[in-house]
Amino acid sequence: MIISVIAGLRRINRFIALLVGLALIACVALILIDISLRQLGISFGGSDEISGYVMAGIASWGVSYTLTELAHVRIDLIRVRLRPLGKAILDLIAIVALAGTAIVIAFEAWPVLQKTIAHHALANTSLATPLWIPQSIWFAGWVWFALSSSLLVLLTVVLMMKGDLRQADSLVGARTEMELEL
Amino acid sequence: AQAKDLSVVGSWSSLPLHKQFEVPFWTKDLPADSGGAINVKMTTFDQMGIKGSDVLRMLSDGVFDVGMTVSDYAVGDAPELQGLDVPLVATTAKQARAMVNAARPMVADIMKQRFNAKLLAIAPYPPQVVFCKGNINSLADLKGKKVRGSGRMTTDFLEALGATGVNISFSEVPGALQRGVIDCAVTGAGSGYSAGWYEVSDSLYPIPLGGWDPVITAMNMNTWKSLSPKTQNLITTKIKSQFENPAWNNAAGALKNNIACLTGNGNCSAGKPAHMKLVKVTQADLDKAHRILVQKVLPEWAKQTDKKWVARWNQTVGKTVGVQVPLN
Amino acid sequence: MIPTLTLSLLGLLALSIPVGIVLFLLGFGISHFYSFFPLVRALGQVVWSSSNSSTLIAIPFFVLLGEILVRGGIAARTYNALDKWFSWLPGGLIHANIGTATMFSATSGSSVATAATVATVALPQAEKLGYDPKLFSGAIAAGGTLGIMIPPSINLIVYGFLTQTSIPRLFLAGLLPGLLMAAAFIAVTVVLCTIKPSLGGSSRSFSWSERFASLIQLAPIFFLFMVVIGSIYAGWATPTESAAIGVVIALLIAWANGGVSLDMFNQSLTGTVRITSMIMLVIMGAYFLNFTLTSAGLGRELTHIITGLHLGKFGTLGVIILLYIVLGFFIETLSLMVATIPIIVPIITGLGFDKVWFGILLIVMIEMALITPPVGLNLYVVQGARKSGSMTDVMLGTIPFVLVMLAMVALLVAAPNLALYLPGHL
Ligand code: NA
Ligand code: NA
Repeated sequence: MIISVIAGLRRINRFIALLVGLALIACVALILIDISLRQLGISFGGSDEISGYVMAGIASWGVSYTLTELAHVRIDLIRVRLRPLGKAILDLIAIVALAGTAIVIAFEAWPVLQKTIAHHALANTSLATPLWIPQSIWFAGWVWFALSSSLLVLLTVVLMMKGDLRQADSLVGARTEMELEL
Repeated sequence: AQAKDLSVVGSWSSLPLHKQFEVPFWTKDLPADSGGAINVKMTTFDQMGIKGSDVLRMLSDGVFDVGMTVSDYAVGDAPELQGLDVPLVATTAKQARAMVNAARPMVADIMKQRFNAKLLAIAPYPPQVVFCKGNINSLADLKGKKVRGSGRMTTDFLEALGATGVNISFSEVPGALQRGVIDCAVTGAGSGYSAGWYEVSDSLYPIPLGGWDPVITAMNMNTWKSLSPKTQNLITTKIKSQFENPAWNNAAGALKNNIACLTGNGNCSAGKPAHMKLVKVTQADLDKAHRILVQKVLPEWAKQTDKKWVARWNQTVGKTVGVQVPLN
Repeated sequence: MIPTLTLSLLGLLALSIPVGIVLFLLGFGISHFYSFFPLVRALGQVVWSSSNSSTLIAIPFFVLLGEILVRGGIAARTYNALDKWFSWLPGGLIHANIGTATMFSATSGSSVATAATVATVALPQAEKLGYDPKLFSGAIAAGGTLGIMIPPSINLIVYGFLTQTSIPRLFLAGLLPGLLMAAAFIAVTVVLCTIKPSLGGSSRSFSWSERFASLIQLAPIFFLFMVVIGSIYAGWATPTESAAIGVVIALLIAWANGGVSLDMFNQSLTGTVRITSMIMLVIMGAYFLNFTLTSAGLGRELTHIITGLHLGKFGTLGVIILLYIVLGFFIETLSLMVATIPIIVPIITGLGFDKVWFGILLIVMIEMALITPPVGLNLYVVQGARKSGSMTDVMLGTIPFVLVMLAMVALLVAAPNLALYLPGHL
């Protein structure tokens, strides 16, 4: 049961990461079109503004994938010298700190969107983008990060209570950049 | 009474308005005149790493007590605020000041309604003029050119002229002019001089195509209400006499000096004068600019803005500068 | 306040809490204990404004470009070609490590990615040919740091973004010092391996025809560098746009090499999202920390301490350099940059130093921070790629290269034109 929840969460985040990656590719295409049109003396503009929104979306939606891939950079100088139980305790502290922060960010991201909606805020550009569109996508990403990380806290606690430290390590342990790469 | 600690966030830390006027007023004059009733901690939005457009939002949340930002940065949250900085309707510091004074009651209401803030002062940046590579003789010569400018009204105006607005950050402008990514760029004459734009451009067209970028100073309304009437009175009178008036009085001279530095006509006190060509602004060009404003730019603004603000603009600023936005 | 903050920072990092989260937590702490105002209320706005940036999107573009090159097999071919050209020198393959790192630096914006790329292709060779692991892996860790000095460079983009400095000028300024450092790495390796030949492997010699035949393998990287950097200076593209062009060219090169498949594309995209989000969490955390530090007045406090020493122009510069070397031992580099630049650079320009020049000087110190323990990301990357041995090997192996970096700092102070010549003349 726990294992299938973990696998499900990983699969969802991998799928999200792929969507985010495709948005990045769309942004590449948009920029190339913009450059080409500019060479022809036609102004499209706006690729600059849109790539900013895409960047905000990558950051807010990508962090959950990075989390379930154990890729947020951690300094594990002390951790690597500990026994499995010590490691598990540090991992629990880390994931609780992360989930707590994620919840605060999601909570504080809402007033940003809320003000935008209340003011009908438009970007001060010729596109005059209604800012609620990019900000809703951005806000939802942080909410998902808060949910994903809270779920990980829950699963880790359950696994630790069952004494399954190995499974807990594969869920919220630390990986070096290279272990992930290969 | 207990001393009040004010946390104050100024505008761009590198520009003269901050160094010459904001810092002395908030950190020296006001605390001294208050006789110890007011303590000030001051920083600027760029030093805090936040955008100018965040200042009023954070001010309304009570993140700090006093905030300063360019009015044009806040128009995303308050489209009616664009009426404070319509480009090309005021060509001298005197006209700009009259325009700002006419708009003041309206801006005070916008601050109160949108940002829960008390308007304290409106001070000018130098007018945002045009630097071009190559020869420019009139407004019509901007047609077909790629122009770095920001803000919706300026971009709309450029498009109506047949020019292309390009968004490039200030630090990239010299390279972009040199490599031909853009043909012209808009900024304050003083900033353009100190950033060495004269090395990569030839003509200086001294029309405020980017407006005057007035800087709003506002206080969080809860902080304002917590002050005694005596302190409130002290702040409003002192900010007028020791910050706003000196800043405006300096503006006209500063523009003349900056133009002298860029073109070599007259006395440059800032350093070695450059030799850009000074383009003469003709009445025909100003008339043409007004036509574009009334026919294209201002109606666009009116579409995005509540009619009551536009009507109020017509009665105040519009009357002062002699421009009326069609209301239908 | 400063001692408490430093201790909290080190303590939270030692608990192995993710670095980005540590920065947010410190910000919450400052907001709660040192500020009269609820600075946390600004958190959402700070996170939105720092990530809504068309300058920073160059980061995922450059990461993607690197992912495509590695997964498309370009990295391995480059390494083999450089092996043929450089392995006759005392030190053998170690020079191919440095050479490959230099080549990849010219297309990669990140030092960690450059080190990871070279480690992937080089380490299997070292074990096969019986190299002393210290100098061999140290050269990869140190060579990789060139990724942020030789353009393009994510760190220079962040520096330009924070200090309003022209990014193309910064890129040009990094080129000569970066190449000079690569040459110095090779020279120091030759000297060490001549004195003590057991440090390197056996020198290997290839025929000239083999060498020239291998040149074609270097062409794709060279072409990519010309397009990415060339499009900026030809006036076609901004740095962000040039990175987007680079992605397309890299895809075409990998495709021409038969290295593109749906799976490879998929892996490159998700890998890019993973690495970018890791970097962005750190950047956003550092932004929030800087926001709270400035609001609580610590920025002013530090400025007063540094300028209050009255050490004169070069004395103050010396203190700042020392500060970065010490902080560089303990703090992850991007967060170090974002949190200190708003405080330090105004002091530097106030002293009359050039912003572009200081950007390059700072990058050398950041490169050093990447390979000094206990917190040096490149050490971890290289150690992670090794199948056996301890981290101490890699640390010892980087010492000669750290000395080269210190010499480079001195050289840049003595001869600023090393950095400023190209931006002044192109
Ligand atoms: Na590079
Ligand atoms: Na370090």
